[in-house]
Amino acid sequence: MGSGGGKALSFEETRELANLYRAVCTSLSVAREISLDQALLTYLEALTGRAYLAVYAPQERLGGLVRRFFVSSAPQAVRRSAAHILAGFLVLGIGAVLAYILYFEDTSWFDAFVPGGLAAGRGPSAETEDLLAGLYDGATTPLDQLGAFAAYLFSHNTRIAFFAFSLGVVIGLPTALLGFFNGLTLGAFAALYVDRGIGWDLFGWLSIHGVTELSAIAIALGGGFRLGMAVLFPGPRSRGESLRWHGRDAAKLAIVAALMLLVAGLIEGFARQLVTDTDSRLLIGWGLGAIWLSWFVLGGRRPEGPG
Amino acid sequence: MAVQSEAPSAGGAKRRRFFGRDKASPVNTLTPPEGVPIHFEVAGIGARFAAQLADLAITFALLVAAVLALRSVTGGAPVFALWVMLFFAIRVPYYVAAELLWNGRTLGKRMLGLQVVSADGRGLTAHAVVARNLMKEFEVFVPGTYLLFIGSFGGWEQALIVLWVGVLIVLPLFNRRHQRLGDMIAGTYVIRRPKLILLPDIAAAPASARAGSGEAYEFQPHQLEHYGRYELQVLEQVLQTGGQGDTGAGVEAQYRRQTSLAAIAEKVRAKIGYTDRVRHRDSEAFLRASYAQQRAFLEQRRLFGDDRSDKFHRSYARSDKR
Repeated sequence: MGSGGGKALSFEETRELANLYRAVCTSLSVAREISLDQALLTYLEALTGRAYLAVYAPQERLGGLVRRFFVSSAPQAVRRSAAHILAGFLVLGIGAVLAYILYFEDTSWFDAFVPGGLAAGRGPSAETEDLLAGLYDGATTPLDQLGAFAAYLFSHNTRIAFFAFSLGVVIGLPTALLGFFNGLTLGAFAALYVDRGIGWDLFGWLSIHGVTELSAIAIALGGGFRLGMAVLFPGPRSRGESLRWHGRDAAKLAIVAALMLLVAGLIEGFARQLVTDTDSRLLIGWGLGAIWLSWFVLGGRRPEGPG
Repeated sequence: MAVQSEAPSAGGAKRRRFFGRDKASPVNTLTPPEGVPIHFEVAGIGARFAAQLADLAITFALLVAAVLALRSVTGGAPVFALWVMLFFAIRVPYYVAAELLWNGRTLGKRMLGLQVVSADGRGLTAHAVVARNLMKEFEVFVPGTYLLFIGSFGGWEQALIVLWVGVLIVLPLFNRRHQRLGDMIAGTYVIRRPKLILLPDIAAAPASARAGSGEAYEFQPHQLEHYGRYELQVLEQVLQTGGQGDTGAGVEAQYRRQTSLAAIAEKVRAKIGYTDRVRHRDSEAFLRASYAQQRAFLEQRRLFGDDRSDKFHRSYARSDKR
């Protein structure tokens, strides 16, 4: 193919290209049977190869692809993986409940569950006023917000989601562990704030981005589980084939999770500092959650016609 | 004189395995829906690494441009995390869009003549392109970024990162298509784009070669029984390199070629029992004539279902009967 690509060809030329491709396929096939001329065979082989690469080029437009992803294929993939995503939520939930109960047994569990960097001074020894202030203070300059946003994106939860997804290939065990540990952290935090009687405030602070963020983590966990299941229980397929098959949905889950983390990051970086009223925080957070849910549940229900 | 070629079949079989070129091995064979398998050369690790470096350089240049633009707007140096994020936001769309729009070839792959193909012989799907490039993030860039900050992690996390990077980087070395994990999930691999080279047919253009000697070489059927396809094609290679049209070769090289052709001609003459003498300067003409007639003979045998892969064909035939 010349540098003009497929667009430079007229309709007749394109049709002729396909015909020529089939003709050269036939020639190659015949030549392999009757000719011993290596030079000719090599040439035909290369010609057929290049024709194949031109004829079977990807034929999708970028715009149509993005549209299809949002309208149908992403929500369908999420629905197909509903059980795995629920397992992700379950793993998070078990960790959270366990940590919550253990905290009330003995507050020193907090330090075991929450990594030092993440706690950032919030802990059983902190003053209630300081904790409360941490929930409601706003950032000062726009660059600060941008910095906070970026730092956040690169921080803990994104990392968890990345690891959880990609380690799913290792039979899903690291995925489950990561989800569980993340749940532990969450549960310990919740217990600390409830213990001080400011649980509701934490709920609002967490809800505004956490609904989206925790769902994203659960979806990433779900994607990891699917990859893990593909390796563990390949069924009638070979393991590689099974991985490829489940990878189709898992990749979509990864994109959805990344998208949700991006939105959560934007909210955490900007909206949480601007909206300091617990009721509005709840409204935004759970409203957004409802939007995600309706996208997943309702999106792509009508079967799209072929092409 | 034909006695020499009556090698014991065991030795023949061993040699056949040794010389047998497995061009048709399924590793680099791709079968499109037309059902005619096409052989592509799987891209080497080095070429892919070089292409990757070129792409990295391109995306990094874009990143620097974006950061400079951002800096002129906000007026402050962005934090490091923003760099990382912007790099991600530039890199992923670059790879996906380039491979979709340019048929599996990023700019780096274009430079090195590489191309991504779908292993099932159908077209490259959007899913495959997205999957292999997203997995590249998980495989290379994310652990690579962590590798930069490896000091700030705990012991077991460090071990995990090193293990992760180590396993995924050596993975392409241990499969024959050099697939990354992303390639395996997407069902793709990377090939070298075939180059179109049509060498002249030696059998069809004997006139000029024969003109010098003035005599034509004729071989009897029993003299053509000795060789098979492999020997024929080796002879073709020898004759194709540094032949008539190749004027670039110096006098020294021409002399060496002449000498080796004479040696080959003498071997062939002795083996097939061609009694006439072949003069030193006529050895190329002799070999060309031998090639043309040998090929015609073998192609004819082949039409009758007698495919002679190499000079041991008679010992195979005997051992098959047993």
